[in-house]
Amino acid sequence: MSLRTTALVAGVIGVLLLAAGLIADAQRPPRDVTPTAAVSTAVVAYEPEMIAFAADNRIGFSGEGEIVALTARPSDAQAWLSQHDATYVTGVPDWDTLATDVAEPEPSPSPSGSASPTPSPSDPEPSPSPSPSASAAPAEEVDLLAEGSQDHWRQDWRGTGRLSIVASDVPAGEVLVVVSRDSTPLTDVDLSLTRDVQDGWITPLIWWGAFLTVVGVIALILRFVDLRPAQAKGEKWIADRQRVGEDDDPSPGSRRARRAAGEHLPDASLVDEDERPAPSVESSPRRAASAAAASGASAASAPSAPSEDATDADTTDADTTDGEEGRS
Amino acid sequence: MISRTVRAAGTTAIAAIALAGCVSDVPAPVTSAPPLEASGALLDAQSARIIEETMAELGEADDARDTELMTDRVGGDVITIRRAEYTLAEADDGPAPTMLPAEMQAVYVSAAETWPRTMATVSVQPSDEDTPIVMLWVQESIDDDYQLREWAHMIPGATLPAMPGPSTGAGQLALDDSSITPTAQETIEQYVELLIAGEGSERDEEFAPDTYRERLFAARQTYVDAASEADGEYVETVEPDLEASYAMATADGGALVFAPLSIGSSFTVEDATVSIAEEDEPLLDGELDDTVTHTYRDFIVIHVPAEGADALPGVVAAEHNLIRVSDS
Repeated sequence: MSLRTTALVAGVIGVLLLAAGLIADAQRPPRDVTPTAAVSTAVVAYEPEMIAFAADNRIGFSGEGEIVALTARPSDAQAWLSQHDATYVTGVPDWDTLATDVAEPEPSPSPSGSASPTPSPSDPEPSPSPSPSASAAPAEEVDLLAEGSQDHWRQDWRGTGRLSIVASDVPAGEVLVVVSRDSTPLTDVDLSLTRDVQDGWITPLIWWGAFLTVVGVIALILRFVDLRPAQAKGEKWIADRQRVGEDDDPSPGSRRARRAAGEHLPDASLVDEDERPAPSVESSPRRAASAAAASGASAASAPSAPSEDATDADTTDADTTDGEEGRS
Repeated sequence: MISRTVRAAGTTAIAAIALAGCVSDVPAPVTSAPPLEASGALLDAQSARIIEETMAELGEADDARDTELMTDRVGGDVITIRRAEYTLAEADDGPAPTMLPAEMQAVYVSAAETWPRTMATVSVQPSDEDTPIVMLWVQESIDDDYQLREWAHMIPGATLPAMPGPSTGAGQLALDDSSITPTAQETIEQYVELLIAGEGSERDEEFAPDTYRERLFAARQTYVDAASEADGEYVETVEPDLEASYAMATADGGALVFAPLSIGSSFTVEDATVSIAEEDEPLLDGELDDTVTHTYRDFIVIHVPAEGADALPGVVAAEHNLIRVSDS
């Protein structure tokens, strides 16, 4: 499999990963959720277990009028709740809903002593015309809290239309009772929760998908573009660069000419006592090279390099006099 | 077409399942209620509010000298006694009603989860001449306010036992609760026997000395002597009111027993016209002839030590209240 084919396959995988990542990101479950329940009573109660369950989260209540939340000891709250229609919030079965249970007032333990006698035949017939006042009268607003004592309530919070409380503000072990002051039913209760969402894989998935997609797109583009002219041009340019210096003679006076003339070589004068005086001999390689060049000999025929000691000594001299030449 | 739809549905289902797996489960419910931080029936703020409202209501009634203004916070014997005090106060140079301080040096609340339940307080010293006052509030049901029902000045030199604080509350003992010996009911009945029998009673050894019965016996002796001199008759009756009696457990396992008493003091001299003290005349109901009866509504607080303690039950607070004088 060629590199281009591999890149195309990676691109296809990248597209799939990117699509999956983007879909997952769009469908990512929210971390903060609010299970809700509709209620139809004017009183809602959270027992201590549910308060402990809610912990540091907010408990919300919605209604139409003034809403009052109160706490009491369980025995006191139960005694008060037993006289009212109340909705108990009992749990969170899933992340969307609250479980509730409606309790009706306990019947009075004292039975009614007035037995209604069976109507005798001589009793007047009941009027067939219904009384219009019985059902037409609107429900009377009753202040549920003003009905009885408030000595057992320990803490209270008040709001209008909406009331929310941090559950941990309710003292441990106490019951939270929420009352619609004018006895109109509350509309719903909710509990704000923060849940653990395992979505750490979505972002890396998107990035990896994007990267592989880019690789694939590049490979795809290269498949449809003819690169051979550009390739040939590049190869020619490289070849041209390689041919420079092989056949052409350097321009006179150019650096290449000077380098070819051995100008960069150190100038060392070797004096041999046995051959002294023979000043006519060009012991310096530089002078010898110049002389050879002047006489038409090639640079390759210059004398060999002097001894090592002498070279070392002259290298220092060359460096100090012409550092650029020495390094070339 | 169908296969494409199936494929899309499958992909969506897999994505949904994958995303659903990203969300943690709903936390498990809390199954046991956390313990109450303060199990007493009333916190400090609650008892302070009750005392404040009680004193406000009592103050309004005192200002108007009208017991009809005693509605929610003041009830029971306080109304009866206050009515008599208002009657006496309206006379020329009549005594002012007993001053009940609003400032308390101790508040004892009940731990009861049923009704009736009580709250007792010990006031600061009202004046240099008066000892602190023990007051008793009673709540009959969840719908009733705590009502001030009784009060009594402490016996000089008496000490109230240590009581549980508001964080735990004092146990509300039934009168026949056998956790104390003798029970609250036995204590009341035995003390009443002692009051009826007088100083020579065997019961006298079973109770610690107290100035309440000393004064009662002294007054009785005066009447007896007067009746004897006038060839008359003196009859004194003492009746406990167990229905209105309560007991609260002390910290050491004993109890404080709160007991109202009705005392009738009837003085008869045949063929004569009896007279009464001038300051009592406003309370006279009828026209005196040969008989006069003073009716008292007393209130005593008895400390019953814990079993095994080296102490006798004793009256720690008592009030002797004349409420009526009648001619029969």
